[in-house]
Amino acid sequence: MTVGIVVDMMLGLALVALSLRVVTGTALFRDIVLFILFGLLVALSWARLGAPDLALAEAAIGAGLTGALMLMAYRSIGTDTEERPVRRRPAVALVVAVLTGSLVAVIGLAALGIERVPDAAGDAVLEALPGTGLRNAVTGVLLVFRGLDTMLEMAVLLVALLGAWTVLGDARPGRVHRVDRRTPLVGSLLTVVAPITLLVAVHLLLAGTDAPGGAFQAGAVLTGCGVLMVLTGTLRPTAVAGFATRLLVVAGLAAFVLVGAGAGFAGHAPMTLTGTWAVYLIETAMMLSIALTMTLLFARARGLRGEGS
Amino acid sequence: MNGAVETLGLALVIAGCVFYAAGTIGLLRFPDVYSRLHALTKADNQGLLLVCLGLAVLAGSARVAFLLIVVWSVGLVAAAVSAHLIARHARHAGEPHASREAER
Repeated sequence: MTVGIVVDMMLGLALVALSLRVVTGTALFRDIVLFILFGLLVALSWARLGAPDLALAEAAIGAGLTGALMLMAYRSIGTDTEERPVRRRPAVALVVAVLTGSLVAVIGLAALGIERVPDAAGDAVLEALPGTGLRNAVTGVLLVFRGLDTMLEMAVLLVALLGAWTVLGDARPGRVHRVDRRTPLVGSLLTVVAPITLLVAVHLLLAGTDAPGGAFQAGAVLTGCGVLMVLTGTLRPTAVAGFATRLLVVAGLAAFVLVGAGAGFAGHAPMTLTGTWAVYLIETAMMLSIALTMTLLFARARGLRGEGS
Repeated sequence: MNGAVETLGLALVIAGCVFYAAGTIGLLRFPDVYSRLHALTKADNQGLLLVCLGLAVLAGSARVAFLLIVVWSVGLVAAAVSAHLIARHARHAGEPHASREAER
């Protein structure tokens, strides 16, 4: 037990130290690497707090995908030359520090004063969970009890992609710095890792109903496969979004809306999920939408095509 | 749990940590990209193996042991490919070689 507390304290201190380094650092590349490390430690903290769903999501999205997007942005803004010194504005920094510091203090003080409310939403969820056919409370909250929030999250992701496409304008898809697949080991890496990521993604999706996992984690893992295929040139970015791409990008949102509206027409309350099949359908559609959207964002492209096609 | 088995598991994990520490010291102290990579990949792969073995012994379950072997293999593949790509990039970029510098 005491060893656990020592580990937790070291983790907490490392998080604070790392976040300070990330914010005050002047070398862009090093800051990005430290930010990725920060994401991994946050994932470890969630695991220590007994929240494996969040740990998985943070490791895959917070550390992995955000890191890949940042490194890609770093490459494309062309800092191949010397590191540019970052200009600082101490007055602004002071104001921001004081404001955020007071916010943290207020929230912290409020949290210390809170007593556990007996009839909180969490208890209600755990009581009502058996009726949903799901055994993972997190998936239950995401899809059944707060399904509207999750649906709108898919809408946010779609809007983000549309925004990126607008910024992209008529520009040809960004030249993705890629490693030739004929480079020794890289081809073999793809042959080994791509099937494993597919397997893990499908496993996470199916496991999500009973155990930690679900559409977000599965989508993020699948995106990892997509990023690898873009980097090795197996998937090439294109300037036009084909019909299949458009369909897949809206699939998550569309599945939610169609299942919800269908329940409404069938005489249930609108937006209810009428069975476990609905959960699987929506989760699969969400996973595909999330993976394709993130891969397109990474590739700065409107569509993807296979090598040689 | 049997005391001897627990001791063996802990000893393996600690041995793994020693390898990790050695790899990290190599990363910090070695003079050029190539030898740093050498220290990091060799020592860390061995460290990961020992930690996985130790955890498998402590877990005492065939399923967990198998999953730990999978974790080690994937880590091995990732380390080998990334180290290879970094070394290749360094060579193409004309990164100096410490021992050859010393001979001059």
